Amino acid sequence: MKFIENIGKFVIKLFSSFGKFILFILFFFKYLFKPKFYLKNNLSFFVNIFISSIPIIALTGIFSGMVLALQSYTGFSRFSAESAIPNIVVLTLTRELGPVLTGLMISARVGSSIAAEIATMRVTEQIDALKTLNTNYYNYLVTPRVLSLTLALPIFVTLVDFIGVMGGYIVSVHRLGFNDNLYLLNTIDFLSLGDYLSGIFKAFAFGFIISIVSCYCGLFSDKGAFGVGSATTNAVVISSVLILSSNYFLTELFF
Amino acid sequence: MKIEIKNLKKKFNENFVLKDISLKIEKNKSTIILGESGCGKSVLIKTIYKLFGFDSGSILYDGKSEVDIDKFSMLFQYGALFDSLKISENIAFTDFINNKTNFERKVLSLMNDVGLNKSIYDRYPSELSGGMKKRVALARALYKNPKVIFLDEPTTGLDPINSDKINDLILKVVTKRKITAVTITHDIKSAIKTGDKYYFIDNGIIQDNGDCKKILKTKNKIFKSFITGAKY
Repeated sequence: MKFIENIGKFVIKLFSSFGKFILFILFFFKYLFKPKFYLKNNLSFFVNIFISSIPIIALTGIFSGMVLALQSYTGFSRFSAESAIPNIVVLTLTRELGPVLTGLMISARVGSSIAAEIATMRVTEQIDALKTLNTNYYNYLVTPRVLSLTLALPIFVTLVDFIGVMGGYIVSVHRLGFNDNLYLLNTIDFLSLGDYLSGIFKAFAFGFIISIVSCYCGLFSDKGAFGVGSATTNAVVISSVLILSSNYFLTELFF
Repeated sequence: MKIEIKNLKKKFNENFVLKDISLKIEKNKSTIILGESGCGKSVLIKTIYKLFGFDSGSILYDGKSEVDIDKFSMLFQYGALFDSLKISENIAFTDFINNKTNFERKVLSLMNDVGLNKSIYDRYPSELSGGMKKRVALARALYKNPKVIFLDEPTTGLDPINSDKINDLILKVVTKRKITAVTITHDIKSAIKTGDKYYFIDNGIIQDNGDCKKILKTKNKIFKSFITGAKY
C-alpha cells in the first residue's frame, strides 16, 4: 500500500513540477514582451559567457573534427570512398555534431553556473532582496541569461563548425595524405546554406533550453548546500536530456 | 504607517506555520517579534511585506488592505548583499540598475550614518566582515527612505560588542528618521534595548505581548522559559 502511495506522490510531484515549469516559461515570455531592460546587466552577462566559453568551444570543435576525419577514413577506405571524407566531416559537423556537442558542453559550462549562482542567491535570500528592492527577477535574472545564451549558442556553433572543419582538414591533409586544395574545395562545394542553417536553428533551440532550464532549477531549488548541488546537477541533466531528445524532432523537421 | 493583523493563517503544503496571529504595529514605534527558531517569525514579516501570500485573516495597512511595498524596506538576516556588485552599487541598487549615476553623495551620506568608512565604497561584499555587511545592508534598506523597516535578526552571527553597536545604530536611525520598525530577534537584550512593544510567538500563535521594558517581568510560563532557557 505504501509503495502505491509513494508512486502516486511521485506522479503528482512530477506533473506539478512540469506545470510549474510551463508557467515559468509563460511568465518569461510575458516579461520578455513587457520588458524592463537592464542593458548593462544583459551586456555583461553576454560578454562573460562568451569569453569563458571560447576555450572549451575551440577544443570541442577541433577534436571532434579530427576524430570524425579519422573514423570516417576507417569506414570509407573499406569500399574506396575516401574522397567523401570532406563532405562527411562538414555535413556531420554543421547539421549534427556542432549544435549537439556545443549544447552539451555549454550546458555543463554555463548552465551549471547559472543554476548554481541563482540557487545560491535564493539560499542567501538575494532573490527576496530583489523583490524588496522592487526589481522583478524575471527582468533582472532570467531575461538576460536566456537572451544571452539563446543568441550566443549560434555563434558558438558557427565557431565549432569552422574549427571542426579545420580539425578534419589537418588530419586529412597531414595524417591521411589528402590534397589540401581538393579537401577545401570539396568541403565548400558540398556544403549548402540549408545544412548550416539547420544547425543554427538547433543552436537557438538548445540555447533557449539550457538557459530556461538552468534558471528554473536555480530559482526553485531547495534550501541549503544540498539544494544548490541538486539544482546544478538537475540543470545539466535535464538540459542534456532535452537537447538530445529535441534534437531528434528538430532533425525530423529539417530531414 | 500603522499595520493591523487579524487572525492570520499561513500554511506550507499541509503544515500551518502561522495558526492564528493577531497583532498591531504602531506608527513610528519599534515592534519586536520574539520566538524560537522555526516558529514562523520570518514567514510573518515576509507575509506582512507581501513577499508571501496567506491563507486566511487580514492585514490592514493604515486601514487598507492594499499597500505600495515601495514604502517598505528589509534588512535580511545575513545581509543578502549582491556578491557581484560593489558596496556602492549594492546600497544604491535600484538607481544603479536603472543606469542612474548621480548616487554617490547619497550613498556616502548613508555610509556615514551607519558608521561605514568611505574607503569601502568600491569594495565587494566578500571583502567585508559580518558586522560591516549588516551595516551595508542597513544602508541599502534606508536608501529608498522607507516608512516601515523590517529587520530580520539584525544581530545574528555578531559578537556581543558588534551586536550592541548594531542595536545602537538601529535605535539611532529609526528614531532620527521616524520610521516604523519591525524587528525579529531571539536576543532579549536587543529587544529590551531597541523595542517599544513585543510579541512572543510560539507554535504559530501569539503567546504573550507587552511593553519591551517589562519583558523580564512577564508572567507567561512559555515566554519565561524562552527567556531563561529553562524547560517549560
